[in-house]
Amino acid sequence: MIGYPTTSAPGQWVLLCYRLPREPSTPRIAVWRKLKRLGVAQLGDGLVALPADARTREHLEWVADEVTEAGGTASVWLALPASRRQERDLAHQMATARAAEYAAIAAHAAAADDAPSSLGLLRRLRAEFARVTRRDFFPPTERGAARAALDDLATETRAEVAT
Amino acid sequence: MRWATRAGVHIDRAACAWLIRRFIDPDAAFVFVDDPAAVPTEATPFDMRGVELGHQGGDCSFETILRRYDLTDPVLWQLAEIVHEADLEDERFDAPEARGLDVVLRGLSMTLPDEEILNLTGPLFDGLYEYHRRATLLGRPPA
Repeated sequence: MIGYPTTSAPGQWVLLCYRLPREPSTPRIAVWRKLKRLGVAQLGDGLVALPADARTREHLEWVADEVTEAGGTASVWLALPASRRQERDLAHQMATARAAEYAAIAAHAAAADDAPSSLGLLRRLRAEFARVTRRDFFPPTERGAARAALDDLATETRAEVAT
Repeated sequence: MRWATRAGVHIDRAACAWLIRRFIDPDAAFVFVDDPAAVPTEATPFDMRGVELGHQGGDCSFETILRRYDLTDPVLWQLAEIVHEADLEDERFDAPEARGLDVVLRGLSMTLPDEEILNLTGPLFDGLYEYHRRATLLGRPPA
């Protein structure tokens, strides 16, 4: 059900290892939000990972700078999982998190009947879909279902506007 | 003057290079390096980790350069919102152009070397600037 990596060798990952003082909490929360937004896999306390590409590496490097600016310590690593199994587990963890986000979008779209303005809702859900897609590295089947629910909502909205 | 930035140019670096050449140093020459340690001593580094002209306090490098060189042109700050969103995607600004621009730049970085990307994106940012200049004057989309 999940788009696992199928290549024979594990791919390259970019890791961010960071420590931030407990107080003040504002930078901690800002960093946590950014990492959540990027869709990182949590490997441990203060250790997160993303499949390596130009964009993910750059984003984690800037987060590392932010951590340092806030008085913490951070380092960015390029790493290879030692086994395909390990990589599959990581991909599974990430795909499961995305699947829940896509399911929430589909549920909102399906429940749109009683919404006063489905056009506004459609725009919001499409924006949310785009955000989730941006952090979706191993697309689960729920992605297609969310897409279909949004298409249905778009069709309904067009019909509504036409009448 | 020589300016240095990271190789593998994307939106922020392309926009900064345009900004530098148009508004700060018409004779700017750009060097692309893979490692911060490889920046030539006489060159000014930008959009790299740990340099003055980099990300600062939630700003992207384009915004940092605008502040550092006291560029107050409101049109440039309009472009800064687009560059910020394309680069950081943190939804601080409402800049719908950002997503398209991000895709175009990502695509170019897959097909062209850095120098050529700068040659191509120069006129692109000229056009964006002119569009937003007219929009600012008219108070509505100019076309």
